[in-house]
Amino acid sequence: MTTAAPSALAFSATHPRGRFSDWAARFVSRAVLALVILILAALLLEILREALPALGTALMPGGILRGDWAPVAEPPRFGLAHAIVSTGMVTALALALAVPVGFGIGLFAADIAPSWLRTILQPCLELLAGIPSVVYGFFGYVTLVAWFERHGGMATGESLLVAGAILAVMVLPFIAGVSVESFAAVPRLLKESAHATGVTRLHVLRRIVLPTALPGLFAAVALGLGRAIGETLAVLLLAGNSTALPTSYLDRGQPLTALIATELPEAGLGSGKYHALYGAGLVLILISVAINVMVWRLKARLLRHGD
Amino acid sequence: MAIDTTQAYPATTDAAPIGTVIAPLSATARGCDCAFTLLAWACGLLGIALPLGILGFLLVEGAPRLSIAFLTQAPAGFPLARAGGVAPAIAGTLALVAIGVAVALPLGIAGAIGLVEYAPAESRWPRAVRFGAECLAAVPAIVYGLFGFAVLVVAFAFKISLVAGGLTLGLMMLPIILIGAEEAMRSVEPSLREAGLSLGVSRFNVVRRIVLPKAMPGIMAATVLAGGHAAGSAAPVLFTASVAFARGAPTLGAPVMTLPTHLYYIVSEGADLTQAYATALVLIVGLLLANGCAALIKRRLAR
Repeated sequence: MTTAAPSALAFSATHPRGRFSDWAARFVSRAVLALVILILAALLLEILREALPALGTALMPGGILRGDWAPVAEPPRFGLAHAIVSTGMVTALALALAVPVGFGIGLFAADIAPSWLRTILQPCLELLAGIPSVVYGFFGYVTLVAWFERHGGMATGESLLVAGAILAVMVLPFIAGVSVESFAAVPRLLKESAHATGVTRLHVLRRIVLPTALPGLFAAVALGLGRAIGETLAVLLLAGNSTALPTSYLDRGQPLTALIATELPEAGLGSGKYHALYGAGLVLILISVAINVMVWRLKARLLRHGD
Repeated sequence: MAIDTTQAYPATTDAAPIGTVIAPLSATARGCDCAFTLLAWACGLLGIALPLGILGFLLVEGAPRLSIAFLTQAPAGFPLARAGGVAPAIAGTLALVAIGVAVALPLGIAGAIGLVEYAPAESRWPRAVRFGAECLAAVPAIVYGLFGFAVLVVAFAFKISLVAGGLTLGLMMLPIILIGAEEAMRSVEPSLREAGLSLGVSRFNVVRRIVLPKAMPGIMAATVLAGGHAAGSAAPVLFTASVAFARGAPTLGAPVMTLPTHLYYIVSEGADLTQAYATALVLIVGLLLANGCAALIKRRLAR
């Protein structure tokens, strides 16, 4: 560690004023750091606290992990099953579409594309990542949903299929970006010696490039997964907001994020619905933290590979 | 007489570029390779066509509906946004992001200074904080909305207001800015720092005069990234700041209109989408302009 060598402090601040400002800066910056950590911890604890009443009965009949969403029934039931299934289906479809294309873009940019095309591809992916979720939702609404209404023979064009397809476009730049990096990080020497033996590009990919880039590719998928699960506005506009349990991709559904966005404004403070929605938020946090732990581990392994 | 090898090994005669055939390959292998190359090209071209297609679609549909009046008038008509413009939504979004940056940027920079410059040597804190920040950067935006609602709107009694939404957005930007600032400061060459310290300059002055100016382009880039992300996300402000219609300049204690939630309200109403195209276009062009400006400033600072 060069940045915080203790010996460096011994050199510093001969002038008393310098010594004071140094002391003050250290105090302030550490205090701010503590504050930042505190705020971030508060975020997790607060969601947990609001979800707690719903967690106690989570596994009982009518709890958030069992049963359906029937807020006006007597007694009301706040099961999240339909939302969890919707989130799962939409995310699976998005990844199934975006992962192969994202890896393809990664390979293309790292090994195949002429350099002028590479310089175009990079900002294009950034543009795709920069489009806000609500604009994607709107775009899907006026293109795919409208098309399904006209040609699909459905009452409304909204469905998990449409939501998943748009979601695939949204996570594509993240998957592609990370896989470009991990394909580009495969040592040139490995690739060139493989090519020198006269095998095809596909063979080099399968036997040399893929195994070497694999941890990075896992990280790319995990990143895309996290993005897809957390997206709100696009799925809110496209999935159809139906609280029935979806059974096919042509059904309408309501992912966790869309459920929260739809119901929270109408949930009374401290009501069963309110706590159930924070329970949904807690599920989202847990999933995203779990994914992040995985990405963190993969990154550590990647760094070890790089040495 | 030399043995004629050219027939069996067609490409061995002169230095072959990498990837060309130097031993006879089966037709299947060559076919698979060709198909693979074509597929990769298709993916790459799709990656270029998708963003340009979406942008082009919004431009073609939205540009004719854009006018000076649209940018300077309040929405009017019933259902909402039949006529008029999006001026209050633009003002609301700018005010929200300004508050968020005003909160998150100083906290982020000071936190990064604490992590990079004043952390005790061999401490595990920087790694732990970095991990926490990355987790929080990955937490879905709607969860920040839930937190802002429970804490700022209800517990602190800010009601649904500009200040509650701005603080929520600030919270959402904080981990991104913290990580960006930390990375930017770590990438400043250690020799510069050591040279300053060896001259007896206090660490605080080294940070102020050497490290921060050097790291500024990186910090700026992270801030613009976080700000653009916050400006475009409707989920955190949906319950903390936004309202379907507001008049006049945004004030701290009152709810505001924002561009993303305005677009959401128009589309979910589903009645008349003509203004939605123009609203989406304003949002995207605004974000692109902000990114473009940031790139320009970054280039100037880096010189």
